[in-house]
Amino acid sequence: MISSTIGIWNYWIVFLLMMIGLFLVIGRKNFLKKIVGLTIFQTSVFLLYITFGKIKGGTPPILNNAIDTVYSNPLPHVLILTAIVVGVATTALGLSLVLRINSEYGSIEEDEISAQDLVDYHDQIETSKKIDTKFIQ
Amino acid sequence: MISELIINAFLVTVMLAIGIALLRTRTLIFTVVLTSAYSLVAALMFITLDAVDVAFTEASVGAGISTILFLAAMAYLPKEEEENINSQTLPALTCILLGGILIWCSYDLPEIGLLSSPVHQHIVPDYILGSRDDIGIPNIVTSVLASYRGYDTFGETIVVFTAGVAVLVLLKNNTQTSKQKNKNSKRKVS
Repeated sequence: MISSTIGIWNYWIVFLLMMIGLFLVIGRKNFLKKIVGLTIFQTSVFLLYITFGKIKGGTPPILNNAIDTVYSNPLPHVLILTAIVVGVATTALGLSLVLRINSEYGSIEEDEISAQDLVDYHDQIETSKKIDTKFIQ
Repeated sequence: MISELIINAFLVTVMLAIGIALLRTRTLIFTVVLTSAYSLVAALMFITLDAVDVAFTEASVGAGISTILFLAAMAYLPKEEEENINSQTLPALTCILLGGILIWCSYDLPEIGLLSSPVHQHIVPDYILGSRDDIGIPNIVTSVLASYRGYDTFGETIVVFTAGVAVLVLLKNNTQTSKQKNKNSKRKVS
C-alpha cells in the first residue's frame, strides 16, 4: 500500500503544482505573476517527463564498462533539455512584452489596463460626435 | 531503491509548499525569489531521478538566468501586486476540477521506476545499445541531443533566435516611444 502510494505520489503533487501554475495564470491580474505561473507550470511538466524516464536501480545514462548496467531512459532528458532553453526564451519574450505594456499604460494590472482602454474608447466616440456636429452646423 | 523514492516524495512535497507560498504572497520580489528556489529544488529532484544533464541545465538556466531576467524587469515595474477586486471563484473552480480529473487519471499511469512501462520499450534501447558504436560519446544524452535528434536541437536554436530578435525589436520600440512621448509633452508645454 505504502509503496504503491509512493509510486504515484510524484504524479499527484506534479498535477497539483500544474494547477497552482494554471491558477496563477488565469486567476491573478498582475502580468508578472502570470509569467511566474507559466514558469511554475513548465517546471512541473519537466518533472512529469523526468519521472517517466526513471528506472528503479538505474544509473544516469552515461556509458560505463560494466556489463549489466541499467540506464535510465535518456529520451525524456533530451526533450526536457530542449524545453528548458525554449522556456527561458519565452520568459524573456513575455517579460519584454510586460515592460512595453508598462511603459505604454503605466500599470501591469489587467483591470486598470482594460479600464484605460474603455476610457480611451469613449473619448474617441465623443470626439467623433463633436466633429459630426461641426459638419452639420 | 525505496529510499530514493522517499527522498523524491519529500522533495516534491517541498515544491508543493513553495507553490502554496507563491499563491499567498503579494510582494513581487518574494515571488521572484520563490520561483528561483522552486527551480533549485526541481534541480535536486532531477539528480535523484538520474537526469544529471537536466539538473545542471535547470540549476544554471532555470534558477540562474531566468531569475536575473525577472530581477532586471522588476527594476522598471511596480513592486506590489494590487488586491483583486473580482472574485477568483471561477478560476479556482476550473483548476480544482481539472486537477481532480488529472489525479483520477493518474491511477492508470505506470508506477515510477518500472522497467516494463511503455516509455522504455520503443526506440530507446536502440539509442542505448548503438550509442557507443554510432557516435562514440559516453554520454548518451549528448549523442541523442546532437546526433540522433539533431533536427530537434536545430529547431530549438531557431526558436531561441526568433525570441531574441523579438525581444530586441520590442525593447527598441520601447525606448523610441518614450523619447517621442517626451518630445510631444515638451511641445505641449512650449
